[in-house]
Amino acid sequence: MAITSIKNLKEFSTNNDRFEGAHTLCPGCAHSMIVRELMNCTDDNLVIASNTGCLEVSTAVYPFTSWDTSWIHIGFENAATAVSGAEAMFKARKKKGTLKDNDASVKFVAFGGDGSTYDIGFQWLSGAMERGHDFTYICLDNENYANTGGQRSSATPIGAHTSTAQAGTHSYGKKQKKKDIVAIMAAHDAPYVAQLAPNKWKSMAKGFQKALETEGPCFINTVSPCCTEWKFDPKDTINITDLATDTLMFPIYEIINGHELNILYRPKNVLPVEEYLAAQGRYKHLFKPENKHVIEEIQKNINEYWEMLQRREEARV
Amino acid sequence: MAEKFDLNEREVWDGNYAASQALRQAQVDVVAAYPITPSTPIVENYGAYVANGYIDGEFVMVESEHAAMSGCVGASAAGGRVATATSSQGFALMVEVLYQASGMRLPIVLTVVNRALASPLNVRGDHGDMYLGRDSGWIQIDAFNAQEAYDLTLCAFKIGENHDVRLPVMVHQDGFITSHTAQNVYPLSDEKAYGFIGDIVPVDDMLDFSRPVTYGAQTEEDWHFEHKAKQHKALMDSRTVIDDVFAEFEKLTGRKYNRVEGYDMDDAEVVIVALGTTVETARVAAQELREEGVKAGVVGIRVFRPFPFDQVRDMLENAKSIAVLDRSSPGGAMGAFFNEVSAALYTTPNRPLITNYIYGLGGRDFSVAEAKRIFLEQKANADAGHITTDIQQFSGLRGPHLGYFQTKRS
Amino acid sequence: MQDLKLKAAEKRGIHQLGGDELVGWDEVTQGIILTSFEGDASDIVHKKAEERNYSDFNSYTATVASWRVKKPVFNIDVCIDCQNCWVWCPDTSIISRDKQMLGIDYDHCKGCEVCVEVCPTNPKSLLMFGEQEDLETALSQWPEKKKKEK
Ligand SMILES: Cc1ncc(C[n+]2csc(CCOP(=O)(O)OP(=O)(O)O)c2C)c(N)n1
Ligand code: SF4
Ligand code: SF4
Ligand code: SF4
Ligand SMILES: [Mg+2]
Repeated sequence: MAITSIKNLKEFSTNNDRFEGAHTLCPGCAHSMIVRELMNCTDDNLVIASNTGCLEVSTAVYPFTSWDTSWIHIGFENAATAVSGAEAMFKARKKKGTLKDNDASVKFVAFGGDGSTYDIGFQWLSGAMERGHDFTYICLDNENYANTGGQRSSATPIGAHTSTAQAGTHSYGKKQKKKDIVAIMAAHDAPYVAQLAPNKWKSMAKGFQKALETEGPCFINTVSPCCTEWKFDPKDTINITDLATDTLMFPIYEIINGHELNILYRPKNVLPVEEYLAAQGRYKHLFKPENKHVIEEIQKNINEYWEMLQRREEARV
Repeated sequence: MAEKFDLNEREVWDGNYAASQALRQAQVDVVAAYPITPSTPIVENYGAYVANGYIDGEFVMVESEHAAMSGCVGASAAGGRVATATSSQGFALMVEVLYQASGMRLPIVLTVVNRALASPLNVRGDHGDMYLGRDSGWIQIDAFNAQEAYDLTLCAFKIGENHDVRLPVMVHQDGFITSHTAQNVYPLSDEKAYGFIGDIVPVDDMLDFSRPVTYGAQTEEDWHFEHKAKQHKALMDSRTVIDDVFAEFEKLTGRKYNRVEGYDMDDAEVVIVALGTTVETARVAAQELREEGVKAGVVGIRVFRPFPFDQVRDMLENAKSIAVLDRSSPGGAMGAFFNEVSAALYTTPNRPLITNYIYGLGGRDFSVAEAKRIFLEQKANADAGHITTDIQQFSGLRGPHLGYFQTKRS
Repeated sequence: MQDLKLKAAEKRGIHQLGGDELVGWDEVTQGIILTSFEGDASDIVHKKAEERNYSDFNSYTATVASWRVKKPVFNIDVCIDCQNCWVWCPDTSIISRDKQMLGIDYDHCKGCEVCVEVCPTNPKSLLMFGEQEDLETALSQWPEKKKKEK
């Protein structure tokens, strides 16, 4: 496959974007940073499917499309299946020789928000992973149903306020922990699974390229800070992502063949999670004295998870 | 190249096998499917043909019917020939994607083996699933027996893939009564069948990288209406293509299909209008009654969508009393099929008497005797000059009579 | 000072979102299909925006300039071409060619200020100014190098 040079940003910037401006994502939205990076990682033809969500409703609003490649949206839950179908058709037509260009190399990619990935499209994704189609699924994890105004998803972390897991006088926001989608996808014995973040552009680009190059179903969870629902200034999207990775709220790692775990980023100074939480309106209430225990719990969860990741990395099992 | 499959001039096939042979002869590129009784054998057979080299295609066994149709949409947008099969709850689970497929104008063929919708759970045939598809923007063709299931599945590809149509097509058959009953079927040779359908010529092919296309854009109030209108027009305009394909099929096989089928209708005074295997039962009843001097006729709707409003009217306007048979629980209204036939007849000068029978739910047998009784009730109406029964009645039901509404006579 | 149509293909930003002309049902595309380019687009990945033949359906031909209240202004004299702004701009609005940052695509920039945040130079090579400020005046007001606070 034709991967592009990611040696440094200068090299990377010689790529010609295939994701165009004048889409209607919010200013500062990380979704498009991630999509642009994925598309700039390869010179190959792309067939992309998107689930319903902010990305989809903002990039194909009749009579405009922001996609310079083949792109399809069916519904909220089924992008993984849409690319499965397209990939199967590619194989069938290649065998028969009915493609317009039978030698064209192509990559199949699906994008979903956390809502469509962790929740409503979970079954569709699991099915496509199990069937082993040659595709890469990328979750744009902004930890809420942003497109419909910020409801909780199973990716919403404990303690966050959302419009359906409200913080109030009798509640500190969401009560449940975030679902561990990366572990679940690794348990599908997928050849490549990773969790990546756009601030670490190089590890993200590397991960994308690995996934695109790997035959079989690959899954990548990307943190996609949402200024609108997380309640921060749009200019801070990358700053917030830095806090997410440096507090280890969002560790960066990959799992190869379902077991070989590699940590891809180790912060020199691990920051206390308060710094990340305090930067966002959705966690504001946690700084009331009665909610101190939630911050403590979040910190404890982070520490334990990081410990687990490191042990798994060492154990190589 | 696909392996050669030996066929006899006359085969004994059930409806499922007949449909799956049509998929094989069409050399469908991708089938994405999920099993459900009674349609399962259609996709099992496709899988077996792929496994044994009789089809060069991809069989994608997905994890639900919603995914089956989603996979079909992705595959169809990728430019090849696509089909699948389902029934009942599986059909219900597909509904979201049925609308998406037709909105994107993708010529997928869905063979629907009609079965009742739960609750209560029931595996037998009624038309609840078929009715659930009626506003989905698909062409819906109805086969009354195994031969027709075969013939019409072949026609479905040719109709849907026609560039003036570009719409998905359902081919219905009745669960068990057709799908699991072995009957004589006269297949075409593989060459003849494929020659009739022809190669699929892709439109807006996602795998044509010289022309990237976006499928499934968002349209709000300033665009949605225009798109839906265009889609409706395509469905209405498909009528002439369907007629042409049926005519070509007749030339090839001598078997003639019409969007509305009339039997003994030239001088019919009392008529049963029905779908599916019931048409055949009613025909037997009509012929027996004709021997007794009752001018009975039968109308079967071959193409349920686009609904043949004008042809239904032409066929029925000179009748005296008509029974429209709905094999679907009406859910608090007159039967949907009754409403459609009535609307067509309302625009005739004579406005024949018309009544509604709800029958056969969950596979309850519909006998010749029951058909005869319905004809005789129409005869009584015709003689009296008004409807003598409830306008809607349940037929073949145990327990006290269940019926609603009477004619308003001043 | 930056040329406002810097490296633009002919049709960049000529349409309003929503479409300038609301055509009738007989003229909308079949199946809601949108094509991204006119003519053969096989090698699009190797073509820069200004070499591409965008179709009227491509959002490249639309503008979101009206979304901005503030705009980033680029000062080429300070820039070190690190391409931070290019990789993180969410709106494909940093125009880089041959590893050089050349300026902003003001048809597509929404004024989010991310590029300014990630610019590492001192003073920054990108700064926000009022949408109405003309570029020359903005550049004339460029701050001096800031001393590191201890
Ligand atoms: C079947 C169905 N249920 C609900 C919706 C409404 N809906 C559309 S997008 C969305 C949330 C999207 O959330 P997510 O997947 O996280 O994407 P985001 O918008 O956050 O990027 C919801 C609830 C829908 N379109 N379809
Ligand atoms: S709501 Fe959030 S995810 Fe959606 S477009 Fe805005 S910033 Fe992006
Ligand atoms: S302000 Fe935002 S949209 Fe404009 S160029 Fe900078 S990063 Fe891009
Ligand atoms: S971030 Fe600043 S220094 Fe780097 S390329 Fe952009 S303008 Fe130049
Ligand atoms: Mg989300």
